[in-house]
Amino acid sequence: MSVIAPKFRLGYFLKGIFDNAFWILTIVTLAGIPAIQIVLFYLELPVIDGELLTAFLAFTWLFNPTMQVPLIKALIYSDLFRIVAFPGFGFAALIAAGTIFVERKMLAKLQLRVGPFYCGKVEGILQLAGDGLKLISKEIIIPAKADKPLFWAAPVLFVGTAAAFVALIPVAPGGWVVADLDVGLLAVFAVIGFFPIITILSAWSANSKFPFIGGIRALHQMVSFEIPLILSLLGVVILTGTLNLSEIVESQSSFPWIIFMPIGAIVFFTTMLAELERIPFDLPEAESEIVAGWLTEFSGMMYGLVQLGSYLKLYAFAALFVIIFLGGWTGPVFWPPLETEIITEGIPIPNYAGDPILTVNAPGLPLLDQDPNEWVLQQQGELQYTSGQLLVSGVIWFVLKTVGVIFFILLPRGVFPRIRLDMLLHIGWYKLIGLSFVNIFIALGLVYAGVIGPGGIL
Amino acid sequence: MADALFLAISVLTIGSAIAALEMRSLVYGSIALMGTLGGVAGFYVMLDSPFVAMFQLAVYVGSIAVLILFTVMLVKRELIFKKIEDPKRKFAGIGLMLIVILALGAVIMDSGIKTISTDSDPVDFREIGGDFLTYYWPALILMALILAGSVMGALVLARREDTIENEQ
Repeated sequence: MSVIAPKFRLGYFLKGIFDNAFWILTIVTLAGIPAIQIVLFYLELPVIDGELLTAFLAFTWLFNPTMQVPLIKALIYSDLFRIVAFPGFGFAALIAAGTIFVERKMLAKLQLRVGPFYCGKVEGILQLAGDGLKLISKEIIIPAKADKPLFWAAPVLFVGTAAAFVALIPVAPGGWVVADLDVGLLAVFAVIGFFPIITILSAWSANSKFPFIGGIRALHQMVSFEIPLILSLLGVVILTGTLNLSEIVESQSSFPWIIFMPIGAIVFFTTMLAELERIPFDLPEAESEIVAGWLTEFSGMMYGLVQLGSYLKLYAFAALFVIIFLGGWTGPVFWPPLETEIITEGIPIPNYAGDPILTVNAPGLPLLDQDPNEWVLQQQGELQYTSGQLLVSGVIWFVLKTVGVIFFILLPRGVFPRIRLDMLLHIGWYKLIGLSFVNIFIALGLVYAGVIGPGGIL
Repeated sequence: MADALFLAISVLTIGSAIAALEMRSLVYGSIALMGTLGGVAGFYVMLDSPFVAMFQLAVYVGSIAVLILFTVMLVKRELIFKKIEDPKRKFAGIGLMLIVILALGAVIMDSGIKTISTDSDPVDFREIGGDFLTYYWPALILMALILAGSVMGALVLARREDTIENEQ
């Protein structure tokens, strides 16, 4: 069946794994451990609490159950974790991966196909992993007359800019954001402005016709739709009086802004589709006209990086819509609080008759709380919700809303045809800009009528 | 720390400005110009005005640089790589630049900038906005009217009589 690897047997695969493991163990034993010992001989080890921190002691701390929870907690509250894992890149990449899978399956169901089917037993759920492996293992081909430095830099810059966009998105209350800027929304506009530059530079550097046509189209589209994008968000800024995204979310604790500015939400959603180059505005990548637009000459993992960047951008735009119009993480807190005894005394472990025989003390157990005293305050009734409760339910509400918005971004792909470039520019310059001005005047009217804003009714 | 950052941003800004002038390829020249404008944004961040810095990024790097790139890409390739060297003009330009920089530096140093205390609180951009909307509102309205007038003038100039009717 398979021509590429005709001799594949599971036995060969396992033999390869065991061979590698054998040689790694042998080399580590014969060369690695002596090398570590030589290094340790010359190394000055630090003294902590009157004890010499040997490697043995460090491992003891690392695998001590009472030390693990504080260690994990310290890791969670470090900056590195924020950038790499939770509100930053890893979380966004996870949602992006889910988006790709849902997009392919949903589009297939809309068009009465089956979609990815074979990889993984359940509905082709491993198709994405397979595609990723394929992209990594493929050769990177660069056109002979391409401008090599720019051509290499473009995918990396694209992912980097998308990650910078993701870093500005607050996910949960209590400062769960990588970069909590006072001018967060302006920073978002500044970051969005970098995408057309990278697109046009990569299109130019490929030195090929289809990428260049696609790049010029992308430039037209992104530059002209940036104006209604910025204008449609100004209404919310007028009503809240702040540019900080966390404060914008906190201002919606009783009602989301989409109730008062549905026009702004519609304009922002449309411009979002155009900025993301999705159908019906996917002219830069129109596959039936100009092969793959500005992505034509990319191959291998360079293409993979551009795709990763565009899906990160999709997540970030959907999250921005949620933050500004749908209230972000606000929602009923449903996560139950932890018992106070667990923090103060430990977890009792009963025997078969129900009598406690053992109490596990886990210092620092409120893993998701910055301050364990909050439990005491909550028990005394002075604090309604602890920050751990707020974090868990906030993240769940945020992800639910974001996934809903992503669904509505994906849906037009199965419904609408691609529109022409002049119609696109007509929509952008004539209709959306006018509608966003209407939205700004609605916001001004609400402020000056004394309904919302400082000293308003609501 | 701040000094090292200042030096790094200065080197980036001035170095990419020189590169923008000296690069053979116009596209790389405009990328270097982007570096200069971004370095200026870095100076604004160091001067405690992130608001201006973000507008510098959004407007100059995000829009003006795109315009320059777009124009450069539409120029014929022979024009991009045409080489005009004139050492006399180059040295004259460097001399002129030195004179201007020395004069400006003398003026700035003489203006009492050394007596400014640097540890005072930065001005909040909300205060500036509030001032614009209360005390300086005639200036704001005047600027808005001038901008609207120029946009309308541009629309009138760009209007063509022979346009085809809307064919949607």
